[in-house]
Amino acid sequence: MDSNLIEMRHMVKVYPPSVLALDDVSVEFRRGEIHSIVGENGAGKSTLMKVLYGLTHANSGEIWFKGKPVSFREPGEAIRAGIGMVHQEIVLIPEYTVWENIVLGVEPVNWLGKLDRRRARELVRQKIDEFQFNLDPDARVEEISVAARQKVEILTLLYRNVEVLILDEPTAVLTPQEIPQLFAELTRLRDGGHTILFISHRLEEVLELSDRITVMRKGKKVDTVDAASTNRQELARMMVGREVIFTTRRKPQTPGDPVLQVEHLTLREDHGRVRLDNLNFEVREGEIVGVAGVEGNGQFELVNTLMGIQRPTSGRILVRGRDITHCDILERRRMISFVPQDRGKMGASLTASVWENAIMTHHRLNPNLSGWRGILLNTRYAQQFTRQLIDAFSVVVSSPRATFRTLSGGNQQKVIVGRELMLQSDFVLLDQPTRGLDVGSMEYIHDQILRIRAEGRAVLMISADLEEIFLLSDRILVLYRGQLVGDLPVEQTTPQEVGALMLGGHRTSP
Amino acid sequence: MKILIGLINGMISGATPILLAALGGAYTFYAGVFNIAMEGMLLTGAFFAVLGSYYTGSWLVGILLAVLGALLLALIFILFAVILKTDEFVTGIALNLFAVGATTYMLRKIFSVKGVFSNAGIQPIPSVRIPLIENIPVVGEILSGQNLMVWVAVVATFLSYFLIFHTRFGLRLRAAGYNPARLDSSGVPSSRMRALSLLASGVLCGLGGAFLSLGYVNLFAENMSAGRGWISLAAIILVNGNPLGVALISLLFGFSDGLGLLLQGYRVSAQFTAMVPYVATLIALYFYAARKRQMKSA
Amino acid sequence: MKQKVLNALIGILVALLLGAVLLVLQGYNPLETYQALFQFSLFGYYPFATTLRNAVPLVLPGLSAAIAFASGVVNLGQPGQLVMGALFATVGGLYLDLPPALMIPVLALLAMLGGMIWAGIAALLRRFFDMSEFIVTLMLNMIADYFTAWAITEPFKDPSAFSPMTPQIAASGWLPKWGEFNSMILFMFAAVLVSWFVFSRWKAGYEWRITGQNALFARLGGCDINRNFVSVMLMTGALAGLAGGLVVMGSTHRFIRGLGANYAWDGVMIAIVANNGILATFLYGLFFSAIQTGALGMELITSVPNEISQVLQAVLVLVIVASREYLNTLVEQLSARRRAREART
Repeated sequence: MDSNLIEMRHMVKVYPPSVLALDDVSVEFRRGEIHSIVGENGAGKSTLMKVLYGLTHANSGEIWFKGKPVSFREPGEAIRAGIGMVHQEIVLIPEYTVWENIVLGVEPVNWLGKLDRRRARELVRQKIDEFQFNLDPDARVEEISVAARQKVEILTLLYRNVEVLILDEPTAVLTPQEIPQLFAELTRLRDGGHTILFISHRLEEVLELSDRITVMRKGKKVDTVDAASTNRQELARMMVGREVIFTTRRKPQTPGDPVLQVEHLTLREDHGRVRLDNLNFEVREGEIVGVAGVEGNGQFELVNTLMGIQRPTSGRILVRGRDITHCDILERRRMISFVPQDRGKMGASLTASVWENAIMTHHRLNPNLSGWRGILLNTRYAQQFTRQLIDAFSVVVSSPRATFRTLSGGNQQKVIVGRELMLQSDFVLLDQPTRGLDVGSMEYIHDQILRIRAEGRAVLMISADLEEIFLLSDRILVLYRGQLVGDLPVEQTTPQEVGALMLGGHRTSP
Repeated sequence: MKILIGLINGMISGATPILLAALGGAYTFYAGVFNIAMEGMLLTGAFFAVLGSYYTGSWLVGILLAVLGALLLALIFILFAVILKTDEFVTGIALNLFAVGATTYMLRKIFSVKGVFSNAGIQPIPSVRIPLIENIPVVGEILSGQNLMVWVAVVATFLSYFLIFHTRFGLRLRAAGYNPARLDSSGVPSSRMRALSLLASGVLCGLGGAFLSLGYVNLFAENMSAGRGWISLAAIILVNGNPLGVALISLLFGFSDGLGLLLQGYRVSAQFTAMVPYVATLIALYFYAARKRQMKSA
Repeated sequence: MKQKVLNALIGILVALLLGAVLLVLQGYNPLETYQALFQFSLFGYYPFATTLRNAVPLVLPGLSAAIAFASGVVNLGQPGQLVMGALFATVGGLYLDLPPALMIPVLALLAMLGGMIWAGIAALLRRFFDMSEFIVTLMLNMIADYFTAWAITEPFKDPSAFSPMTPQIAASGWLPKWGEFNSMILFMFAAVLVSWFVFSRWKAGYEWRITGQNALFARLGGCDINRNFVSVMLMTGALAGLAGGLVVMGSTHRFIRGLGANYAWDGVMIAIVANNGILATFLYGLFFSAIQTGALGMELITSVPNEISQVLQAVLVLVIVASREYLNTLVEQLSARRRAREART
């Protein structure tokens, strides 16, 4: 009992209006352990940690820390008590330097509140040396790598002398090569007496790193187990509630004629920085081509130039042999289905109704949606069309008039994917099609992607998830600093090799 | 020479209210508050300055009341936009109209006039004569004899620059604008910085308003801020909030103001000369947009 | 829908209570004041007809702002567009003399043209030079103000008048009246209907709406964002311009100083409280008109200066908008609490 540093008892949390995120969860964390919390998206693991950290508040339940009941109203109080959290999305100020980010909130000052830059920089440097973090305190955050930014986040908490570090899916943004370094640092911290709470859904990592593992499913705790006495299959079963197949369902198939051809595509941006550097590739009928790469290596610009949001500096884009490099977006949409990575920003209007989201693009291309002389919108047919989509893609929704925001993430994505696939285009561009979805929806979307491959359409899929890329792709393209550093048939490569290419390494001879 | 000195003096007094309001807006700009209430704060400040000065016979009380009046508006802004999280644009628009309505109402209620209140009892803010310098030709004629508030604006410019870029307050203020989530997680509530920036905005707009009604002229007229708050907003956007840049651009607008007065001497209709500052804003905006476009395509 | 109405009623109630507090603080009797306010605006044939008529220059700029904001266009140029519309209609009325059946539509079209030209300038500056329409329309307001002031002091001044104003427009351009009902209100009803129809039944309206909610999504969906921007600007400019023309044709019959009053800004506020809904803008327009109309009568009885109506309006806007957003979160939090209680047992 006294070895428990933190105890959370009977935690209940409901997100307004009625999402039950924590359903009577009780869990204990011991001093000096690495304790992983695993579960699917939406299982409640992040919520549990946010409640502990004071970022959100439980509706009931109690938290004991060092033998005393605590309740943090805001993260500042948790940090002062010795608990800090690094979020999934790294929250730093890109315009500030590393040291400015770290000291923000506890800045050393001299007279009149004037910043004592020299002392601040010195203090940060000391911390960097103490924990062997290999960071330049004067670098601007916008210029350093994602892995380095994560270190800045961790160091920010260590600078405030926290004992408990919560890390929310820290490996999601890292490449396979960067992960061991993070794990070494975390292990070193544990050996130095820190307690580490590690949220993840990647079971391999969890087994490698943790001392103990707590599994959550649908807002409930399933169990806490010793890492040494369990295995991946068992964890997966606890996590999903059934047996999980880790192998691909992709059937062999010979690709046909090229649908998308990209030739010498180059995009140079402000101050001559090259975002896309002479890309050459094609996607053929009945083929899924995956694009791997660390975020920010040209994926965004590739999507933008394909869709016509940005004009390439040079090069050509052809679909079915037609040069669309200088076509406007509507012209492209006659030939391209596009599922963007961010539902709320690019894929839908959250405040509009389901039918208003469902008919986008169709309203220009499908004559049935036009009323008098193409000026009016045939709202009756729009409802009918939306019902078809809802049925065909098994969307759970009360009515086509429901507000899009009220749908779950999985159902929102189904509407978007359904809308795009119903365009019947030969070329389908998917940008992170399953990001943030639960396993059920993810499997559904994967099935749809494989279905359109079977229909002989060409698919280009960008994903940050190597597992997904290997599960679906026929070929894998690797982007590094805007260059295509790999174009590999999936049977002839490994995640390790792709990971090395993502970091700018060269192809190892097989 | 006389014309030139007149033009420069016109430029300085035209620039002062815009500069003060824009400095106020710079704080909210950095804190990430879309503050479009400067127009209303200026107007409120102008009214309370006259109120205080007329009833107590002291311009100092006038300035004090002007600041308090503008602060009141800032507090309402904080209540709605920061605490109740009402849309900032909506809050700003409503407050501007509230200021127009309330000052017109009080003008009738307190002074029983419509349109303009002007009275010999209103004590203006004095000018500052600098003993030795005033004898130097040209330079003396410009440096000496400026309204006290002009010097306040000069001090406020450098003080704001120091506060925003060299202090703990400034680091946190800008952090609130760049990434409020980061500031929150570092233990400083970003809402506090937003509120503070609005208070700073209130103080400076109050001073600007006091200059309008007790320095630039010596009366209060309905809607006398006449779009200066909007011009100051444009000034902030044009230089990304930097106080020194704000000062330069305010001088530019002040110059167009002075130019307008000069043109009147050449029998150009008063209505057209009055348009000059607004047209100047449009021209400045054109160059700003052109530069931005160029940076994008380069 | 039910909740929207409820929110609005609660907001109005809270705002009126706040207004009552203000009145008490100044030594007025709030009940008596409110009674007078509504007596002179709603109850009775004459007051109601006046309220309807006064609503015209509020509802039209309101519709203009509502459509612009809902489409993501920050057109704050209604004040300038309104006076330019009024000027165009006036000049037309001074130089043309057609039979009323032709004259009235021609002047109305001229007014819309005036508003469209003034909004079109801002649209072109944005379209070709990337200049934000937000600041541009604000500056154009001031310029339009001085421009119309010049027009009525120099080229079009009535030589017999002592203060700057134009002569009267030809009587054939005067809007007919039936008893107390001015035919201006027909234009208002028509504008509401047309706006609603375009906004919710046209393909263009669908694209405007979605663009206002999420421009990037609309753009990726194949909507022509740039063309839509220009058409929204022109349509909203026309609505504001028509308001100015109707004021000239239906009430002043000439361009006098201060003709634009605060109509357009009030319209912007009305659009904001109405959350940019077309029908809601119309209803709130009537409500604001009732307050302004009643305030004039109220002053006679209670000696409360009618300018209080402007203060009351601003308070209404703030309270209604704030309570709308606050009540929504409150309702959600309450239902969350209920759910949590269920989970515990």
